[in-house]
Amino acid sequence: MNLFNKPTLSTDERDIIDSITQNGAGRKKGEERLFNRYAYFIKEAIYKHSLSEEDAFDLYSDTIISAIEKIASGSFEGRSSLKTWLYSIFHNKYVDLLRKKTTNKNSIHHTLSISDLLLQVSDQSKTIVQKLVDKTDWEILRERLVQVGESCRQMLLLWADGYSDRDIAGLMEYKTSDVVKTSRLRCLEKLKQLYRKT
Amino acid sequence: MDNNLEYIDAYFQRMLEPEEIRRFEQKLAEDPEFAEEVAFYLAAKQGLKAEAEKEKKERFKQLLSQQAPVINIDRERNTKRIWMYRVSAAAAIVVCLLFAWYFFFSSSASPQQMADKYINDNFKDLGITMSARLDSIQTGLRLYNDGQYDSSLKMFETISQRDPKDYLPKKYAGIVCLRLGNYEKALQYFRAFENDDTLYSNPSLFYQAVTLLKRNQSGDKQQAKELLQRVVKGDLDGKESAEQWLKKL
Repeated sequence: MNLFNKPTLSTDERDIIDSITQNGAGRKKGEERLFNRYAYFIKEAIYKHSLSEEDAFDLYSDTIISAIEKIASGSFEGRSSLKTWLYSIFHNKYVDLLRKKTTNKNSIHHTLSISDLLLQVSDQSKTIVQKLVDKTDWEILRERLVQVGESCRQMLLLWADGYSDRDIAGLMEYKTSDVVKTSRLRCLEKLKQLYRKT
Repeated sequence: MDNNLEYIDAYFQRMLEPEEIRRFEQKLAEDPEFAEEVAFYLAAKQGLKAEAEKEKKERFKQLLSQQAPVINIDRERNTKRIWMYRVSAAAAIVVCLLFAWYFFFSSSASPQQMADKYINDNFKDLGITMSARLDSIQTGLRLYNDGQYDSSLKMFETISQRDPKDYLPKKYAGIVCLRLGNYEKALQYFRAFENDDTLYSNPSLFYQAVTLLKRNQSGDKQQAKELLQRVVKGDLDGKESAEQWLKKL
């Protein structure tokens, strides 16, 4: 019998995963439970890898954020325990951090990573769109996001965090996902107009 | 409201029909203003995502501050040091014993070890060529070599959907799935070009065998053995390794 092929998730782990996958009101709770459950990784990173408290926290919270994204999109299949899987992400991020530190790229010229959505665009236009995206003034965009109003801001942040229009409708108490879609696009348009005014 | 945003949103939410996708991509290539709109949509989503993550980090920071102090470095380091010496000594003994066992008693590697070795030797980094035609493939390979397996898989899947007849994105998607431990999906991708007789050298059967040996579920070894026999018989890609493995299986 191969023990490694047995389901390895505990009830508690399964519960955390379910609350994140459902993407509804329970997701936030699930995210917090996930963060709290393995927060001792931070301590380990300080002792084992001699990281500063700040670096260790960043490393761990980036791990959790990345894990949440994967769980919410269904990429985590539960073939290993949640801890083993999280630790492999944590370790990969630690290696990335070391690489960044040795090549001196760490946060001096902070740019946002390539959007997965851009991968969808055909080769013919990818370079030109990427160049246009690179021209974005992120600071101004952030400032304008405050100006779109709290409701719009909240809706756009949920959308960017991977919530569907249906999930947003449930969370923000809109009647239907179609209403959310119209409002979301209106908010995006407002953000665009504000951004272009600069 | 600007209809372009709705159109762009539909494209990125994969709501358009193939013909509409083609028209969208044509418009994107030919209309600079439309390209600006698309770039804004992507930039906004990217920026918003970063903002959402920042807020999440703040929330995590608060959670951490509510927990008991994470560290008490001075006291715990001394205790840890003593334990480290003990554990290191024990580990050294265990390693020596394992080496002794390996050299004196173990004459052959397990099927999983053989697959692991093959995967580490051949799939750790994938070669990037300088062909301009295969730009998306190159991007996928770069992402893979940078360890961004999920993005790399998305890339290969998108290319494969766009050009279902091309075996290359399927081969790479299968390799990414294999690295990710998603063996069922890896097998699906490798099987998808099993009967592609346009290929001078087709590694489908051999890769399926590697995946089965790595997965090592009940019946996998036998199935892998049959595949390897077909590789040898058909003089296919991976024949040399297949011959060696068959002696050990």
